[in-house]
Amino acid sequence: MKQALYASLILGLIPLQVTGLNYVGIAGIRPDLTLIATFLIGFLGGEIEGLLMGILLGCVQDLFSAGSLWINLITKAMIGILAGLLGRHLANATPVTVCTFLFVLSVLSGSTAAVWLRVEDNFLGVPHMIQSVVLPQALFDAALGTVIYWLMPGRRRRESEFGEDLALFGR
Amino acid sequence: MLRALSGTTRLILLLLTLLLSVVFLLPKQTRSVLQALGQPIAAVVFFPIEAWTALEQSAIGLWQDYAALRHVHEDNRQLRRDLELLQRQNSDLRESAVAALRLAALLEFKEQFTPQTVAARVVGRDSTNWYSGVILNKGDRDGIRPEMGVMTSAGIVGRVVKTNPFSSIVLLVTDPHNAITGIIQRSRDEGIVEGTAQGRARIKYLPLLANIRPGDIVVTSGLTGGFPRGIVIGTVLTMQKEEGELFQSAEIVPQADLSKLEEVLVITVPRSLDADPEAKGK
Repeated sequence: MKQALYASLILGLIPLQVTGLNYVGIAGIRPDLTLIATFLIGFLGGEIEGLLMGILLGCVQDLFSAGSLWINLITKAMIGILAGLLGRHLANATPVTVCTFLFVLSVLSGSTAAVWLRVEDNFLGVPHMIQSVVLPQALFDAALGTVIYWLMPGRRRRESEFGEDLALFGR
Repeated sequence: MLRALSGTTRLILLLLTLLLSVVFLLPKQTRSVLQALGQPIAAVVFFPIEAWTALEQSAIGLWQDYAALRHVHEDNRQLRRDLELLQRQNSDLRESAVAALRLAALLEFKEQFTPQTVAARVVGRDSTNWYSGVILNKGDRDGIRPEMGVMTSAGIVGRVVKTNPFSSIVLLVTDPHNAITGIIQRSRDEGIVEGTAQGRARIKYLPLLANIRPGDIVVTSGLTGGFPRGIVIGTVLTMQKEEGELFQSAEIVPQADLSKLEEVLVITVPRSLDADPEAKGK
């Protein structure tokens, strides 16, 4: 079941990103569905799943981008590992914490990409890129990712497990 | 943190981290390997993109047909007026064409603007927010290669930067990483056309004494690989002449509407075979 879900994400997310999301973008900035998916997979499934899906989704994203540095492969893998580690060590995940972590990781990933693109591909200035691309996209990612997390059945299961754990400790 | 992981998991993490480090440290060396490895994945992922676009196009088509019916009478009258105007212009142009042919024959002007093109449909936008690009539904299998120019009937769109078996990625002329040589049609001053962060284009490195005016047309010079000479890039909007600078520049509005691209032409052979003996040999 999980493999089928992951396969459909690999096949379906990029088509949605390059076509359907053009209607929801503001000033040409769209949320990054692969980043949100990688974060949620890593956060709920662990660092290995996050890393592998980050590599695969980042690779597919790079295949349909004008960039030639495979930057998404690196940044999405990084997001997958970090989200896995966060998910493993965070006792009580709420939509607010997910929103915060997603925003921070999106900014981190975007800033890494901006610096790398500046060094390797002679991109525009990093502050300008952070202001015009990274921050708006991070806001988008955090908002959309939180809504998806809120709607996910796995989240409820995880929270109920947490509630049972608390009950065992007599709280 | 890593102590909690099993031995196998740690090994997988280590190997993948090593792989990522190689890609990170040697991005330019690994790009061709990754591109080759990704081709089958790109071929599979392209079909959902095309299916989605077909669905989107049919929905838009249905709505446009409905909207068009509501204004068909008014449009018809307008079209008749336009037709009369165009017939007059056509007559003038025929005269000019005859004169041009005569003069060209006189000057033994052999080079003809007949680039070979492949028509392609725009099926999506770049998958990231870093580049201004579009995805076309034609790729390697249709003879499309990186560095080929892309245009519409209105003017230049951009150039192909990446190809997959069934699709290709085009970097638009408004992207800051695109550079095309252009000339001002009226004054014949040459410069480099680059995109700007604001989504327009700019012609740079124009001589300080160049006589440029707002409204001047900028066309391709033919010196950049993928484009023949004389295709419209855009119209000059404003000029910038900084004190102490050796060159001047001008902001350009692209002639092709890059926000509403649907069909484009990929220039596979920029010059006619008669004009390019090298291409003829191939």
